Amino acid sequence: MMNLAHLHLLLNHFPIIGTMIAVALFLLSFVGKNTDLRRASYIIFAGIALLSIPTFMSGYTAEAWIQNGKDVSQVLIDRHKGSAMLSFWFMEFTGAFALVGLWQSQKTSRPANWNVAVVFLLSLLTVGLMARTGNTGGDIHHAELRGDNELLVNGKVVEGPIGSIASRFEPSPDKFMNAMVFSKWWWTFMMILHYMGLILIVATVGFLDLRIMGFMKQVPIRPVHEFIPWGMLGLGINVLTGMLGFIGQPNNYIFKEDFWMKILCLMLLGLNVALFYMTDVFEGVENVGAGEDAPIFAKLVAGTSLFLWFAVITFGRFIQFSFDTFKIN
Amino acid sequence: MAVPQILQTIEQTGISTWIRESDSVFGFYFFLTLHGIGMSLVVGGNLIIDLRILGFAQALPLKPLKRLFTLMWGGLILNVLTGIALFTAYPTKESTNIDFYVKLTFVALGVIAMKKVSDRVFGDLSLSEESMLARGQALAKWSLLFWFLAVTAGRLLSETAIYDTYGHLAGG
Repeated sequence: MMNLAHLHLLLNHFPIIGTMIAVALFLLSFVGKNTDLRRASYIIFAGIALLSIPTFMSGYTAEAWIQNGKDVSQVLIDRHKGSAMLSFWFMEFTGAFALVGLWQSQKTSRPANWNVAVVFLLSLLTVGLMARTGNTGGDIHHAELRGDNELLVNGKVVEGPIGSIASRFEPSPDKFMNAMVFSKWWWTFMMILHYMGLILIVATVGFLDLRIMGFMKQVPIRPVHEFIPWGMLGLGINVLTGMLGFIGQPNNYIFKEDFWMKILCLMLLGLNVALFYMTDVFEGVENVGAGEDAPIFAKLVAGTSLFLWFAVITFGRFIQFSFDTFKIN
Repeated sequence: MAVPQILQTIEQTGISTWIRESDSVFGFYFFLTLHGIGMSLVVGGNLIIDLRILGFAQALPLKPLKRLFTLMWGGLILNVLTGIALFTAYPTKESTNIDFYVKLTFVALGVIAMKKVSDRVFGDLSLSEESMLARGQALAKWSLLFWFLAVTAGRLLSETAIYDTYGHLAGG
Protein backbone atom coordinates (compact mmCIF):
# COMPACT_ATOMS: atom_id res chain seq x y z
CA MET A 1 0.00 0.00 0.00
CA MET A 2 1.31 3.45 -0.91
CA ASN A 3 2.40 5.79 1.86
CA LEU A 4 4.19 9.11 2.16
CA ALA A 5 7.57 7.39 1.87
CA HIS A 6 6.56 6.48 -1.70
CA LEU A 7 5.83 10.18 -2.27
CA HIS A 8 9.44 11.02 -1.46
CA LEU A 9 10.77 8.30 -3.75
CA LEU A 10 8.54 9.60 -6.54
CA LEU A 11 9.33 13.30 -6.09
CA ASN A 12 13.05 13.13 -5.40
CA HIS A 13 13.85 12.47 -9.05
CA PHE A 14 12.46 15.84 -10.14
CA PRO A 15 14.94 18.18 -8.40
CA ILE A 16 17.90 16.01 -9.37
CA ILE A 17 17.09 15.46 -13.03
CA GLY A 18 15.15 18.70 -13.43
CA THR A 19 18.10 20.86 -12.41
CA MET A 20 20.34 19.00 -14.85
CA ILE A 21 17.92 19.68 -17.71
CA ALA A 22 17.46 23.31 -16.67
CA VAL A 23 21.22 23.92 -16.39
CA ALA A 24 21.78 22.27 -19.79
CA LEU A 25 19.20 24.55 -21.40
CA PHE A 26 20.59 27.55 -19.56
CA LEU A 27 24.13 26.89 -20.77
CA LEU A 28 22.89 26.26 -24.31
CA SER A 29 21.10 29.61 -24.20
CA PHE A 30 24.50 31.36 -24.22
CA VAL A 31 25.04 29.95 -27.71
CA GLY A 32 23.65 32.64 -29.98
CA LYS A 33 22.05 34.38 -26.95
CA ASN A 34 18.89 32.33 -27.31
CA THR A 35 16.29 34.11 -25.15
CA ASP A 36 13.70 31.36 -25.61
CA LEU A 37 16.02 28.70 -24.20
CA ARG A 38 16.96 31.00 -21.33
CA ARG A 39 13.32 31.63 -20.54
CA ALA A 40 12.61 27.90 -20.65
CA SER A 41 15.47 27.18 -18.25
CA TYR A 42 14.24 29.89 -15.87
CA ILE A 43 10.74 28.43 -15.91
CA ILE A 44 12.14 24.99 -15.09
CA PHE A 45 14.27 26.42 -12.26
CA ALA A 46 11.20 28.10 -10.76
CA GLY A 47 9.06 24.98 -11.19
CA ILE A 48 11.69 22.70 -9.67
CA ALA A 49 12.14 25.12 -6.75
CA LEU A 50 8.42 24.80 -6.05
CA LEU A 51 8.42 21.01 -6.40
CA SER A 52 11.45 20.78 -4.09
CA ILE A 53 9.25 21.89 -1.22
CA PRO A 54 7.13 18.71 -0.96
CA THR A 55 10.17 16.67 -1.98
CA PHE A 56 12.09 17.97 1.01
CA MET A 57 9.16 17.66 3.38
CA SER A 58 8.31 14.11 2.32
CA GLY A 59 11.87 13.18 3.19
CA TYR A 60 10.88 13.44 6.84
CA THR A 61 7.97 11.07 6.37
CA ALA A 62 10.25 8.68 4.47
CA GLU A 63 12.62 8.85 7.44
CA ALA A 64 9.81 8.02 9.86
CA TRP A 65 8.70 5.07 7.74
CA ILE A 66 12.18 3.72 7.09
CA GLN A 67 13.13 3.90 10.75
CA ASN A 68 10.11 1.91 11.83
CA GLY A 69 11.59 -1.42 12.75
CA LYS A 70 14.14 -1.34 9.95
CA ASP A 71 17.87 -1.74 10.25
CA VAL A 72 19.09 1.53 8.78
CA SER A 73 21.90 3.81 9.82
CA GLN A 74 20.80 7.09 11.46
CA VAL A 75 24.25 8.47 10.57
CA LEU A 76 23.56 7.93 6.86
CA ILE A 77 20.06 9.37 7.21
CA ASP A 78 21.42 12.50 8.92
CA ARG A 79 24.10 12.81 6.24
CA HIS A 80 21.40 12.78 3.57
CA LYS A 81 19.25 15.26 5.53
CA GLY A 82 22.13 17.68 5.92
CA SER A 83 22.91 17.43 2.21
CA ALA A 84 19.22 17.93 1.37
CA MET A 85 19.03 21.02 3.57
CA LEU A 86 21.92 22.62 1.72
CA SER A 87 20.77 21.69 -1.79
CA PHE A 88 17.20 22.70 -0.97
CA TRP A 89 18.12 26.27 0.01
CA PHE A 90 20.33 26.67 -3.03
CA MET A 91 17.44 25.42 -5.18
CA GLU A 92 15.03 27.90 -3.61
CA PHE A 93 17.39 30.82 -4.15
CA THR A 94 17.99 29.72 -7.75
CA GLY A 95 14.23 29.54 -8.30
CA ALA A 96 13.68 32.93 -6.64
CA PHE A 97 16.22 34.67 -8.86
CA ALA A 98 14.80 32.85 -11.88
CA LEU A 99 11.36 34.28 -11.02
CA VAL A 100 12.90 37.76 -10.77
CA GLY A 101 14.51 37.19 -14.16
CA LEU A 102 11.19 36.09 -15.65
CA TRP A 103 9.57 39.26 -14.33
CA GLN A 104 12.37 41.37 -15.79
CA SER A 105 11.90 39.56 -19.13
CA GLN A 106 8.34 40.83 -19.27
CA LYS A 107 9.57 44.41 -19.17
CA THR A 108 12.74 44.26 -21.25
CA SER A 109 12.44 40.95 -23.17
CA ARG A 110 15.36 39.45 -21.23
CA PRO A 111 16.66 39.22 -17.64
CA ALA A 112 19.20 41.78 -16.44
CA ASN A 113 22.86 40.81 -16.77
CA TRP A 114 23.34 40.68 -13.01
CA ASN A 115 20.42 38.26 -12.77
CA VAL A 116 21.90 35.97 -15.42
CA ALA A 117 25.20 35.97 -13.56
CA VAL A 118 23.57 35.10 -10.24
CA VAL A 119 21.42 32.33 -11.74
CA PHE A 120 24.50 30.99 -13.56
CA LEU A 121 26.47 30.69 -10.32
CA LEU A 122 23.62 29.40 -8.17
CA SER A 123 22.38 26.85 -10.69
CA LEU A 124 25.80 25.26 -11.18
CA LEU A 125 26.20 24.90 -7.44
CA THR A 126 22.65 23.60 -7.10
CA VAL A 127 22.97 20.87 -9.71
CA GLY A 128 26.10 19.60 -7.99
CA LEU A 129 24.51 19.72 -4.56
CA MET A 130 21.39 17.94 -5.84
CA ALA A 131 23.53 15.16 -7.28
CA ARG A 132 25.24 14.85 -3.89
CA THR A 133 21.84 14.71 -2.18
CA GLY A 134 20.66 11.96 -4.52
CA ASN A 135 23.86 10.05 -3.90
CA THR A 136 23.64 10.29 -0.12
CA GLY A 137 19.98 9.27 -0.27
CA GLY A 138 20.85 6.16 -2.26
CA ASP A 139 23.54 5.25 0.26
CA ILE A 140 20.95 4.86 3.02
CA HIS A 141 19.37 1.71 1.71
CA HIS A 142 21.28 0.66 -1.40
CA ALA A 143 24.39 -1.18 -0.27
CA GLU A 144 25.03 -2.24 -3.90
CA LEU A 145 25.99 1.38 -4.69
CA ARG A 146 28.95 1.24 -2.34
CA GLY A 147 30.60 -1.77 -3.94
CA ASP A 148 33.43 -3.04 -1.78
CA ASN A 149 33.90 0.29 -0.07
CA GLU A 150 32.88 0.50 3.55
CA LEU A 151 30.92 3.69 4.00
CA LEU A 152 30.78 3.60 7.78
CA VAL A 153 33.90 3.06 9.87
CA ASN A 154 33.51 3.25 13.64
CA GLY A 155 30.11 4.87 13.14
CA LYS A 156 31.45 7.69 10.97
CA VAL A 157 31.00 8.18 7.25
CA VAL A 158 34.06 7.77 5.08
CA GLU A 159 33.65 10.41 2.39
CA GLY A 160 35.31 10.54 -0.99
CA PRO A 161 37.26 13.62 -2.11
CA ILE A 162 34.19 15.58 -3.29
CA GLY A 163 32.07 14.43 -0.37
CA SER A 164 34.75 15.58 2.06
CA ILE A 165 34.47 19.13 0.72
CA ALA A 166 30.68 19.13 0.43
CA SER A 167 30.12 17.71 3.91
CA ARG A 168 31.90 20.69 5.50
CA PHE A 169 29.10 22.98 4.31
CA GLU A 170 26.19 20.68 5.09
CA PRO A 171 24.34 21.66 8.26
CA SER A 172 23.70 19.27 11.10
CA PRO A 173 19.95 18.50 10.92
CA ASP A 174 19.60 18.41 14.70
CA LYS A 175 21.41 21.72 15.20
CA PHE A 176 19.36 23.38 12.46
CA MET A 177 16.15 22.06 14.01
CA ASN A 178 17.14 23.22 17.48
CA ALA A 179 18.09 26.65 16.14
CA MET A 180 14.51 27.12 14.93
CA VAL A 181 12.90 26.26 18.25
CA PHE A 182 15.44 27.57 20.77
CA SER A 183 13.18 30.50 21.62
CA LYS A 184 9.42 30.96 21.38
CA TRP A 185 10.07 34.62 20.44
CA TRP A 186 12.15 33.60 17.43
CA TRP A 187 9.36 31.21 16.45
CA THR A 188 6.75 33.93 16.91
CA PHE A 189 8.86 36.39 14.87
CA MET A 190 8.93 33.86 12.00
CA MET A 191 5.16 33.41 12.23
CA ILE A 192 4.60 37.20 12.24
CA LEU A 193 6.63 37.41 9.04
CA HIS A 194 4.57 34.49 7.67
CA TYR A 195 1.40 36.54 8.27
CA MET A 196 2.95 39.59 6.59
CA GLY A 197 3.87 37.47 3.58
CA LEU A 198 0.31 36.15 3.48
CA ILE A 199 -1.08 39.69 3.44
CA LEU A 200 1.28 40.73 0.64
CA ILE A 201 0.16 37.75 -1.46
CA VAL A 202 -3.57 38.07 -0.81
CA ALA A 203 -3.53 41.84 -1.39
CA THR A 204 -1.65 41.81 -4.67
CA VAL A 205 -2.62 38.50 -6.26
CA GLY A 206 -6.13 38.80 -4.85
CA PHE A 207 -6.53 42.31 -6.33
CA LEU A 208 -5.41 41.07 -9.75
CA ASP A 209 -7.68 38.02 -9.58
CA LEU A 210 -10.69 40.10 -8.54
CA ARG A 211 -10.12 42.60 -11.36
CA ILE A 212 -9.80 39.82 -13.93
CA MET A 213 -13.03 38.32 -12.60
CA GLY A 214 -14.80 41.63 -13.18
CA PHE A 215 -14.59 43.54 -9.87
CA MET A 216 -13.57 47.19 -10.17
CA LYS A 217 -13.82 47.30 -13.95
CA GLN A 218 -12.93 51.01 -13.96
CA VAL A 219 -9.33 49.95 -13.46
CA PRO A 220 -7.19 48.74 -16.41
CA ILE A 221 -5.46 45.42 -15.70
CA ARG A 222 -1.87 46.26 -16.63
CA PRO A 223 -1.19 48.64 -13.69
CA VAL A 224 -2.82 46.18 -11.27
CA HIS A 225 -0.29 43.64 -12.47
CA GLU A 226 2.47 46.06 -11.39
CA PHE A 227 1.79 45.04 -7.77
CA ILE A 228 2.80 41.43 -8.43
CA PRO A 229 6.45 41.89 -7.35
CA TRP A 230 5.10 42.66 -3.85
CA GLY A 231 3.25 39.35 -4.04
CA MET A 232 6.47 37.64 -5.09
CA LEU A 233 8.17 39.21 -2.08
CA GLY A 234 5.38 37.82 0.11
CA LEU A 235 5.82 34.39 -1.46
CA GLY A 236 9.56 34.52 -0.80
CA ILE A 237 8.99 35.51 2.82
CA ASN A 238 6.49 32.69 3.27
CA VAL A 239 8.61 30.00 1.65
CA LEU A 240 11.52 31.07 3.88
CA THR A 241 9.58 31.28 7.13
CA GLY A 242 7.40 28.29 6.31
CA MET A 243 10.36 26.04 5.61
CA LEU A 244 12.29 27.26 8.66
CA GLY A 245 9.20 26.55 10.74
CA PHE A 246 8.85 23.12 9.19
CA ILE A 247 12.49 22.25 9.87
CA GLY A 248 11.98 23.34 13.49
CA GLN A 249 8.99 21.09 14.14
CA PRO A 250 8.54 18.58 11.32
CA ASN A 251 6.54 16.10 13.40
CA ASN A 252 3.94 18.81 14.00
CA TYR A 253 3.16 18.71 10.30
CA ILE A 254 4.09 15.55 8.44
CA PHE A 255 1.40 13.31 9.88
CA LYS A 256 -1.44 15.76 9.28
CA GLU A 257 -3.77 15.67 6.32
CA ASP A 258 -4.43 19.44 6.51
CA PHE A 259 -0.74 20.16 6.12
CA TRP A 260 -0.41 18.04 2.97
CA MET A 261 -3.62 19.57 1.58
CA LYS A 262 -2.06 23.02 2.05
CA ILE A 263 1.07 21.90 0.21
CA LEU A 264 -1.03 20.32 -2.56
CA CYS A 265 -2.94 23.61 -2.98
CA LEU A 266 0.40 25.46 -3.25
CA MET A 267 1.54 23.07 -5.99
CA LEU A 268 -1.79 23.55 -7.81
CA LEU A 269 -1.25 27.30 -7.55
CA GLY A 270 2.09 26.82 -9.26
CA LEU A 271 0.31 25.03 -12.11
CA ASN A 272 -2.27 27.82 -12.19
CA VAL A 273 0.46 30.46 -12.48
CA ALA A 274 2.11 28.45 -15.27
CA LEU A 275 -1.25 28.27 -17.06
CA PHE A 276 -1.70 32.03 -16.64
CA TYR A 277 1.69 33.13 -17.93
CA MET A 278 2.75 30.35 -20.30
CA THR A 279 -0.41 30.19 -22.37
CA ASP A 280 -2.18 33.12 -24.01
CA VAL A 281 -4.22 33.87 -20.88
CA PHE A 282 -1.89 36.66 -19.74
CA GLU A 283 -1.67 38.12 -23.25
CA GLY A 284 -5.44 38.14 -23.30
CA VAL A 285 -5.75 40.20 -20.09
CA GLU A 286 -2.62 42.35 -20.21
CA ASN A 287 -4.21 45.02 -22.37
CA VAL A 288 -7.72 44.88 -20.94
CA GLY A 289 -8.55 48.53 -20.35
CA ALA A 290 -10.83 50.43 -18.02
CA GLY A 291 -14.42 49.31 -18.42
CA GLU A 292 -13.48 46.22 -20.41
CA ASP A 293 -14.02 42.57 -19.57
CA ALA A 294 -11.37 39.86 -19.42
CA PRO A 295 -11.94 36.65 -21.43
CA ILE A 296 -14.00 33.93 -19.75
CA PHE A 297 -11.12 31.48 -19.48
CA ALA A 298 -8.98 34.14 -17.78
CA LYS A 299 -11.77 34.66 -15.24
CA LEU A 300 -11.77 30.93 -14.58
CA VAL A 301 -8.01 30.92 -13.99
CA ALA A 302 -8.28 33.95 -11.70
CA GLY A 303 -11.18 32.44 -9.79
CA THR A 304 -9.24 29.21 -9.33
CA SER A 305 -6.29 31.20 -8.00
CA LEU A 306 -8.47 33.02 -5.49
CA PHE A 307 -10.12 29.80 -4.36
CA LEU A 308 -6.77 28.02 -3.93
CA TRP A 309 -5.23 30.87 -1.92
CA PHE A 310 -8.17 30.83 0.49
CA ALA A 311 -7.84 27.06 0.67
CA VAL A 312 -4.16 27.51 1.59
CA ILE A 313 -5.14 29.93 4.38
CA THR A 314 -7.87 27.59 5.66
CA PHE A 315 -5.80 24.39 5.62
CA GLY A 316 -2.87 26.28 7.11
CA ARG A 317 -5.00 27.56 9.96
CA PHE A 318 -6.44 24.12 10.64
CA ILE A 319 -3.06 22.39 10.98
CA GLN A 320 -2.98 23.32 14.65
CA PHE A 321 -6.52 22.03 15.16
CA SER A 322 -6.18 18.68 13.46
CA PHE A 323 -4.84 15.46 14.89
CA ASP A 324 -2.37 13.17 13.16
CA THR A 325 -4.06 11.51 10.20
CA PHE A 326 -1.25 9.26 8.99
CA LYS A 327 0.08 6.51 11.17
CA ILE A 328 3.20 4.47 10.69
CA ASN A 329 2.41 0.76 10.52
CA MET B 1 -3.89 39.36 39.45
CA ALA B 2 -7.54 39.56 40.50
CA VAL B 3 -9.59 38.17 37.64
CA PRO B 4 -13.23 39.29 37.48
CA GLN B 5 -15.74 36.50 38.14
CA ILE B 6 -17.81 37.60 35.12
CA LEU B 7 -15.15 36.07 32.88
CA GLN B 8 -15.70 32.64 34.41
CA THR B 9 -19.43 33.11 33.99
CA ILE B 10 -18.94 33.81 30.27
CA GLU B 11 -16.66 30.78 29.91
CA GLN B 12 -19.28 28.55 31.48
CA THR B 13 -21.98 29.50 28.98
CA GLY B 14 -22.92 26.98 26.34
CA ILE B 15 -21.76 29.13 23.44
CA SER B 16 -18.35 29.78 24.97
CA THR B 17 -17.81 26.13 25.82
CA TRP B 18 -18.91 25.01 22.37
CA ILE B 19 -16.64 27.37 20.46
CA ARG B 20 -13.70 26.55 22.72
CA GLU B 21 -14.03 22.78 23.07
CA SER B 22 -16.03 21.51 20.12
CA ASP B 23 -14.45 18.96 17.78
CA SER B 24 -16.52 20.40 14.96
CA VAL B 25 -14.66 22.06 12.06
CA PHE B 26 -17.02 25.02 12.66
CA GLY B 27 -15.56 25.59 16.13
CA PHE B 28 -12.76 27.82 17.31
CA TYR B 29 -10.42 27.32 14.36
CA PHE B 30 -13.20 28.08 11.90
CA PHE B 31 -13.66 31.48 13.51
CA LEU B 32 -9.91 31.93 13.62
CA THR B 33 -9.68 31.17 9.89
CA LEU B 34 -12.43 33.67 9.08
CA HIS B 35 -10.65 36.19 11.30
CA GLY B 36 -7.50 35.66 9.24
CA ILE B 37 -9.42 36.11 5.99
CA GLY B 38 -11.02 39.29 7.31
CA MET B 39 -7.59 40.56 8.31
CA SER B 40 -6.31 39.84 4.79
CA LEU B 41 -9.17 41.89 3.29
CA VAL B 42 -8.74 44.85 5.65
CA VAL B 43 -4.96 45.01 5.75
CA GLY B 44 -4.54 43.88 2.15
CA GLY B 45 -6.91 46.53 0.86
CA ASN B 46 -5.18 49.20 2.94
CA LEU B 47 -1.83 48.00 1.61
CA ILE B 48 -2.89 48.47 -2.02
CA ILE B 49 -4.35 51.93 -1.44
CA ASP B 50 -1.47 53.10 0.77
CA LEU B 51 1.19 51.88 -1.69
CA ARG B 52 -0.64 53.61 -4.54
CA ILE B 53 -0.86 56.88 -2.60
CA LEU B 54 2.86 56.63 -1.83
CA GLY B 55 3.68 56.37 -5.51
CA PHE B 56 3.75 52.69 -6.52
CA ALA B 57 2.03 51.53 -9.71
CA GLN B 58 1.52 55.11 -10.87
CA ALA B 59 -0.32 53.95 -13.99
CA LEU B 60 -3.11 52.68 -11.73
CA PRO B 61 -5.90 55.28 -11.64
CA LEU B 62 -6.57 56.33 -8.05
CA LYS B 63 -10.28 57.18 -8.12
CA PRO B 64 -11.61 53.68 -8.91
CA LEU B 65 -9.75 52.34 -5.86
CA LYS B 66 -12.53 53.86 -3.76
CA ARG B 67 -14.42 50.63 -4.42
CA LEU B 68 -11.84 48.71 -2.43
CA PHE B 69 -13.29 50.26 0.70
CA THR B 70 -16.34 48.03 0.27
CA LEU B 71 -14.09 44.98 0.67
CA MET B 72 -12.20 46.58 3.53
CA TRP B 73 -15.26 47.54 5.56
CA GLY B 74 -16.68 44.07 4.83
CA GLY B 75 -13.48 42.51 6.14
CA LEU B 76 -13.64 44.69 9.23
CA ILE B 77 -17.23 43.63 9.95
CA LEU B 78 -16.18 40.01 9.52
CA ASN B 79 -13.35 40.58 11.98
CA VAL B 80 -15.56 42.27 14.56
CA LEU B 81 -18.03 39.38 14.45
CA THR B 82 -15.39 36.64 14.52
CA GLY B 83 -13.45 38.61 17.11
CA ILE B 84 -16.48 38.59 19.39
CA ALA B 85 -16.80 34.83 18.90
CA LEU B 86 -13.12 34.28 19.67
CA PHE B 87 -13.32 36.52 22.74
CA THR B 88 -16.42 34.66 23.90
CA ALA B 89 -14.45 31.42 23.80
CA TYR B 90 -11.50 32.78 25.80
CA PRO B 91 -12.56 35.91 27.69
CA THR B 92 -10.08 35.42 30.53
CA LYS B 93 -7.18 34.72 28.19
CA GLU B 94 -7.79 37.88 26.19
CA SER B 95 -8.93 40.40 28.77
CA THR B 96 -6.04 39.64 31.15
CA ASN B 97 -3.49 40.06 28.37
CA ILE B 98 -2.12 43.57 27.86
CA ASP B 99 -1.21 42.69 24.28
CA PHE B 100 -4.94 42.29 23.55
CA TYR B 101 -5.50 45.96 24.35
CA VAL B 102 -2.40 46.94 22.39
CA LYS B 103 -3.82 45.10 19.39
CA LEU B 104 -7.24 46.74 19.75
CA THR B 105 -5.55 50.15 20.03
CA PHE B 106 -3.62 49.67 16.80
CA VAL B 107 -6.70 48.26 15.08
CA ALA B 108 -8.64 51.35 16.19
CA LEU B 109 -5.88 53.65 14.94
CA GLY B 110 -5.77 51.72 11.66
CA VAL B 111 -9.53 52.05 11.24
CA ILE B 112 -9.35 55.79 11.99
CA ALA B 113 -6.60 56.16 9.38
CA MET B 114 -8.70 54.13 6.92
CA LYS B 115 -11.72 56.38 7.48
CA LYS B 116 -9.59 59.52 7.12
CA VAL B 117 -8.12 58.23 3.84
CA SER B 118 -11.63 57.45 2.63
CA ASP B 119 -12.90 60.94 3.53
CA ARG B 120 -9.87 63.09 2.83
CA VAL B 121 -8.40 61.39 -0.26
CA PHE B 122 -11.51 59.87 -1.85
CA GLY B 123 -14.13 62.23 -0.39
CA ASP B 124 -14.16 64.57 -3.41
CA LEU B 125 -13.67 62.71 -6.68
CA SER B 126 -13.84 65.95 -8.67
CA LEU B 127 -10.32 66.78 -7.47
CA SER B 128 -7.35 66.01 -9.66
CA GLU B 129 -5.40 62.86 -8.90
CA GLU B 130 -2.39 64.93 -7.83
CA SER B 131 -4.48 66.78 -5.26
CA MET B 132 -5.95 63.53 -3.97
CA LEU B 133 -2.50 61.98 -3.60
CA ALA B 134 -1.12 65.02 -1.80
CA ARG B 135 -3.90 64.77 0.80
CA GLY B 136 -3.00 61.23 1.70
CA GLN B 137 0.79 61.04 1.92
CA ALA B 138 1.17 61.20 5.70
CA LEU B 139 -2.00 59.20 6.32
CA ALA B 140 -0.81 56.36 4.07
CA LYS B 141 2.42 56.00 6.03
CA TRP B 142 0.63 56.00 9.38
CA SER B 143 -1.91 53.51 8.06
CA LEU B 144 0.80 51.07 6.98
CA LEU B 145 2.48 51.39 10.39
CA PHE B 146 -0.72 50.93 12.40
CA TRP B 147 -1.83 47.85 10.48
CA PHE B 148 1.65 46.32 10.66
CA LEU B 149 1.62 46.81 14.44
CA ALA B 150 -1.95 45.49 14.72
CA VAL B 151 -1.04 42.27 12.88
CA THR B 152 2.11 41.88 14.98
CA ALA B 153 0.25 42.42 18.25
CA GLY B 154 -2.42 39.97 17.13
CA ARG B 155 0.13 37.31 16.35
CA LEU B 156 1.75 37.80 19.75
CA LEU B 157 -1.49 37.12 21.64
CA SER B 158 -0.92 33.41 22.07
CA GLU B 159 2.64 33.96 23.31
CA THR B 160 1.84 36.69 25.82
CA ALA B 161 -1.25 35.13 27.42
CA ILE B 162 -1.11 34.77 31.20
CA TYR B 163 -4.24 32.65 31.56
CA ASP B 164 -5.76 30.03 29.31
CA THR B 165 -9.13 29.92 31.03
CA TYR B 166 -10.35 31.16 34.39
CA GLY B 167 -8.10 29.86 37.12
CA HIS B 168 -5.80 28.07 34.70
CA LEU B 169 -2.47 29.59 33.73
CA ALA B 170 -1.43 29.52 30.08
CA GLY B 171 0.91 26.70 29.17
CA GLY B 172 -0.03 24.89 32.36
